[in-house]
Amino acid sequence: MFRYNVKLALKSMRRNLILTALMIAAIAVGIGISMTTMTVYYMMNGNPIPAKSDVLFAVTMDSWSPLRPFNDDKPERAPHQVTYHDAERLLALAEGKRQTAMFESSLIVEPVNEDELPFEAGARVATADFFTMFDVPFIYGSSWDQAADAAAEPVVVLTRQLNERLFGGEDSVGERLIMQGTHFQVAGVIDSWEPTPRFYDPINGAFQEINEMFVPYSLTLSLELGSTGSDWGWKAEEITSWEQWLNSESVWVQYYVELDSPRDRDAYVAHLDAYVEEQKRLGRFERPMNNNVYDVMEWMDYHEVVANDSKVLVGLSFLFLTVCLLSTIALLLTKFVGKKSETSLRRALGASRNIIFNQQIVEVAVIGFAGGLIGLLLAGLGLRGIQYLYEAPDGLVSLDWVMVLAAIGLAILSSMIAGLYPAWRVCKIPPAAQLKTQ
Amino acid sequence: MGFGPMMSALMRNKTGPALVALQIAVTLAIVINSLFIILQRVEKMNRDPGIDVNNVIITYVRGFGDDFDVVNSITNDIDLIKSIPGVVAATVSNHVPLSGSGSGTGLRTVPDETIESVGTGRYQWSEEGLDALGIELTRGRNFYPEEVYYELPETVMDTPSVLVTQDLADSLFGDEDALGKTVYWGDMEPSTIVGIIGHMHGSWVNWDKLGHVVIHPGKPAYTTNKYIIRVEPGMRDELMPIIEQKLGESNRRRVIKSNRSLEELADRSYRRDRGMAIILSVVITLLIGLTALVIVGLSSFHVTQRRKQIGTRRALGARRMDIIKQFMLENWLITTAGAALGVVLTIGVAYWLEVSFELERLDWRLLPAGIGTLWVLSSLAVFEPARRAAAVPPAVATRSV
Repeated sequence: MFRYNVKLALKSMRRNLILTALMIAAIAVGIGISMTTMTVYYMMNGNPIPAKSDVLFAVTMDSWSPLRPFNDDKPERAPHQVTYHDAERLLALAEGKRQTAMFESSLIVEPVNEDELPFEAGARVATADFFTMFDVPFIYGSSWDQAADAAAEPVVVLTRQLNERLFGGEDSVGERLIMQGTHFQVAGVIDSWEPTPRFYDPINGAFQEINEMFVPYSLTLSLELGSTGSDWGWKAEEITSWEQWLNSESVWVQYYVELDSPRDRDAYVAHLDAYVEEQKRLGRFERPMNNNVYDVMEWMDYHEVVANDSKVLVGLSFLFLTVCLLSTIALLLTKFVGKKSETSLRRALGASRNIIFNQQIVEVAVIGFAGGLIGLLLAGLGLRGIQYLYEAPDGLVSLDWVMVLAAIGLAILSSMIAGLYPAWRVCKIPPAAQLKTQ
Repeated sequence: MGFGPMMSALMRNKTGPALVALQIAVTLAIVINSLFIILQRVEKMNRDPGIDVNNVIITYVRGFGDDFDVVNSITNDIDLIKSIPGVVAATVSNHVPLSGSGSGTGLRTVPDETIESVGTGRYQWSEEGLDALGIELTRGRNFYPEEVYYELPETVMDTPSVLVTQDLADSLFGDEDALGKTVYWGDMEPSTIVGIIGHMHGSWVNWDKLGHVVIHPGKPAYTTNKYIIRVEPGMRDELMPIIEQKLGESNRRRVIKSNRSLEELADRSYRRDRGMAIILSVVITLLIGLTALVIVGLSSFHVTQRRKQIGTRRALGARRMDIIKQFMLENWLITTAGAALGVVLTIGVAYWLEVSFELERLDWRLLPAGIGTLWVLSSLAVFEPARRAAAVPPAVATRSV
């Protein structure tokens, strides 16, 4: 029966080619646009580390000016980064299961041979825990160990791309490279790792990959590694040396901890409070106690990682899809009017209302399927366009299986909803009534 | 001609016309709100930055190694750049306007920490800075060369003179003349306003204080040195590789991090706005195209369906003109009903955008413009089917019975 219905549907579609083409076009454009905007939204709103997003927490402490809040529009918020020396103290206290202080920097990779050119590489300065906390995959070697953190050893973990550039993709563990006049030893090479959004640093860009290597946080002091990310200050301090900068009230270090349970979360905030209490006695942290930890998704919300433009586009594109469905209903109705006599004849020859109804629904489902397929192609094009417009890295926005199935499903479902009323109208055509007028 | 046959046709099949009207309504809501967003973004991108954007080259260099002398490097680089024919002026700067990367500070008119400061972008460059960006000083004076010194990390800031934009001056001093007045930095160090810039944009194009800029004299000698270079009109693309090559050859202990036109940097800063405007333009083009095609398709079909009615009317004496009028008027009625509903929907969507996303309030003038366009477009869409309807010969009425 289904195959017969499909056959009838194809036949009927051929008979009214223009109307059929219009319906397919309407559904295709609607699906194409809404899938394009949905994919971008889905990417921005995605969970970058589903296995651990509820045990990883960004830490904030209110060390800001006693006179005014960090953010005038959201006075309840503490600064989104911490000072260098507070990060140092938290690392030393080590009250989480794992913890890392970190920031963006960049280093000059100096040539070993005369004919090579030096170049600058983006570096993430972090502790050994960074790799285990964030499930970073390695292809060669491993993270440096905690002893290297403690002794501020010049070790480096390379990304696959930088290892490709420097060592032709070979296993480079143990190799050396010169940066800041210092010999660094390669501890490991990580595989492609591009969590989207870049949850560990939404402050300096949630959708761009800028790290080419990782070096120990403890080198900050000795090698004077400066942050290339944002820094914020409130206090008028005389800063004429590296030590003064590190001891200043400027906030420029990001701090993440791993905690196993909600109880640990409360306990950790209590630890933070105790630390701040101690600092208050030293005359720092003059604002009311305001220490918080945010899990990964809370941290993404905090930074409004999903752009408003993206939400507006999703809203408008679904209105667009509504227009496409209204078009489809109007076109279907029109088409069925033209089929009155055929339907009358089928009814007169014994086809029940059910059979006629099913046949109509199969016909719109076929149209929906065709529209969905073309819509997917359009969405693919749309995403390429968006990637070009926003200079997004390759592969950042692409259709995955979930979105492909969603697109086809949405196309068939919405066209069937659009087909319900016209199909019902067709069923009400009385048998033979239409035949008389011919 | 009476409304009779038309109304009876419309009333006989209410759902079809109602659907078209609804489609027109939603189309109007999307088109007007999208158009409003597009216009706003275009207006934002077209703001005058007060800078000679097209003739400026920005070069970032960074030295390395223990023996690297940053002051020497900057001095030699600037001399080298200025020796290239076609270069008008060059300076080292702490940041580059319109680039998205910058420094902000707060200024006060009285040295009192409890008073809210006025937020502003902050630049530090030499006496050639204004010329290197093509910025116009409207009143007062530029920096004297003797006020300009190298700012190393260990330098204690000493800033007797500053330049401010008129926009910042207004925010600080209101109606009073700011020239010659004193402003206080975060550390309460005073500076005298020696010159006023009519207008220039700072670094962050999305900041509401983009027009607030304070400039203090100096040559920042940090890890990364940012050079701002202005060239003779039309010579930019020719000079960019030459500058890069000459800088590269002159010192191997230094990396040229990037060498770009200011135009490119500014374009990048407006990338999101341009992207949004283009996406919405595509959306409304597709939408209008689709709605027009559907109207054409439906009207053509109705003409075929109603050949008999048309033939009968023709046989009873209706002229071709009357038939065309009937179809046009019918379509006009549907469009107008749709537009009326569309106005309500448009305002609803505009309200949602305004409340949820802090977008500006819709410019109401777009509504009549949108409805007018809709009338024209839908009339165009229905004209050809109507003309074909008018071509139905009166005899059709008699033949098929």
